Amino acid sequence: MSYEELGNPILSLRDVSVMRSGVEVVEKVSFDIKKGDFVGLVGPNGGGKTTLILTILGHLKPYKGDVLVYGHQPACKHNLGMVGWVPQAATNLPKNIHISVRELINLGALNQRNYLRRMDESSTSKVDQAMEMVGLKELENFDVSRLSGGQLQRVVIAKALASEADLLLLDEPLVGVDRSSRNSLLKLLDDLCHNHDKTILIISHDLSAITQSTHRIIYLERSVQFDGHSKDLPNLNELAIIRGIENPHASHSAKPHTTKFHRGEDL
Amino acid sequence: MGIGNMLMDILSPILQSIGPYMPGETFPHFFISKNGPGLFENALVAALIVTVLACLIGSFLMIRNLSLLGDGLAHVSFGGICIGIVIGYTSPLIYALAFSTVSAVLIFTMQRKEILAGDASIAIFSTGMLGFGLVVLKIWGDGITVDVEGYLYGDLLLLDDQNLDFILIISTLSILSIWLIRNALLATIIDPIAAQVQGIPEREIGLFFSIITAAVIVSMVKIVGVLLVTALLITPAATAKQVGNSFKSCMFWAQIFGFISVISGLYISAETGAGSGSTIALVAAVIFCFVAIYRNIVMQKIFPENN
Repeated sequence: MSYEELGNPILSLRDVSVMRSGVEVVEKVSFDIKKGDFVGLVGPNGGGKTTLILTILGHLKPYKGDVLVYGHQPACKHNLGMVGWVPQAATNLPKNIHISVRELINLGALNQRNYLRRMDESSTSKVDQAMEMVGLKELENFDVSRLSGGQLQRVVIAKALASEADLLLLDEPLVGVDRSSRNSLLKLLDDLCHNHDKTILIISHDLSAITQSTHRIIYLERSVQFDGHSKDLPNLNELAIIRGIENPHASHSAKPHTTKFHRGEDL
Repeated sequence: MGIGNMLMDILSPILQSIGPYMPGETFPHFFISKNGPGLFENALVAALIVTVLACLIGSFLMIRNLSLLGDGLAHVSFGGICIGIVIGYTSPLIYALAFSTVSAVLIFTMQRKEILAGDASIAIFSTGMLGFGLVVLKIWGDGITVDVEGYLYGDLLLLDDQNLDFILIISTLSILSIWLIRNALLATIIDPIAAQVQGIPEREIGLFFSIITAAVIVSMVKIVGVLLVTALLITPAATAKQVGNSFKSCMFWAQIFGFISVISGLYISAETGAGSGSTIALVAAVIFCFVAIYRNIVMQKIFPENN
């Protein structure tokens, strides 16, 4: 039986604190994520969301606490290739490059064993499968610079899927994506979670979209302020408007309240 | 007998056979010489091999937004060459190699540790090392008659056997290793964090690439000269970017444009007496202009829907 089949969490954070440039950006964060969870990580700008994800990826080191990915330290040889990283596509790709959709997704199939070899058949089939999952098969020879924001984001998701990662970490995948592509992206993530057994942790500013799709919301502002079922997120309107998070469903009655709040603060 | 001579023995019958079809008065000398392989053939072969390598490396450098790393390391190499000339003993290129490699590693480390972002660290090393070399040359270089200018503008025709061996060994090793790490290198350039998570040794690949770049720059110095290294490194890759629509096709076109630039540059320089390095740089830039104008202005007028 594998590690997660024994009922252990895939991802486990215990009192994690992270410093960046001498400032404690994340403080004593603890939570577990089990296989098949679809978790939204929300919070204000500078609240430590990206820092936390980079810590889970092993790119940053916590100065206190433990991060365990599949029961081991992040980015150690036991869990390499099991975590997929999906950055914000639009800002992430280098500008001076022409690269086709297939070439870019191919790079996702590289791992510690095959990175010096030619693409073998199993890698090619993984890439085909990933393209199929995100619905990009017919665009495989397109130059990525000619794709729309939503299509580009799908390519980056496919790149993470080609690695056969079971835990997907997404950083603001909905930014720069129009409304209809946003819905289809969320549907895709939902499908990956329910029909392909992926575990998903997604950072987003778009509270309304994310509360609809995810099972669970973690509200992070330096430390975890809320962790629970998406529909239980308290005082959504107030929280969102005060923190400056986009929330198109905010009712008008909430506005005078916040104006008063700001005025009060200024005085 | 050096590796260069052995290669020339193999290649010279081929060159001899195509030589008579080459146009011009002087240009055919690059292919045929009466008493065995000579300086002209050495020059041609070295130039072509270095071009393959330069265009290969250039494509990656351009994506990394490090187009001027080549220029910076070339300046560093010139500092090394000055020191080499003063100390003597071996070919100044060995000193250039040492200087350039150390600088490349330090530049890489500074950028990675975010001590200085972008090309600021390149600026410091290129000028600092060049200054060091020039100062040493001025103070202790009395009575040295070696032609420093040859290294600035390139003197393809003064390529001796020792230098040919040096260039051939570095080029062959570099081409093979870049080809081996090409996928991993591309993955680390496009998304270093993802590459790390996938299990690609991202830091080692980056460091290795920096060292190879340093070695390549030094082997180019003798051919196109310190001031013109970027012409062969970046210009063909930039031209290729106008034409290709995938990474593979861009790599292919970079080789084609590099090859055309070198051959026609050598032809023009042989027939007019202009310097080989500068002519190659000029031809490469002219080709870029034509292709860029054609792709971005003419094509857009004819097929506006394609862009």
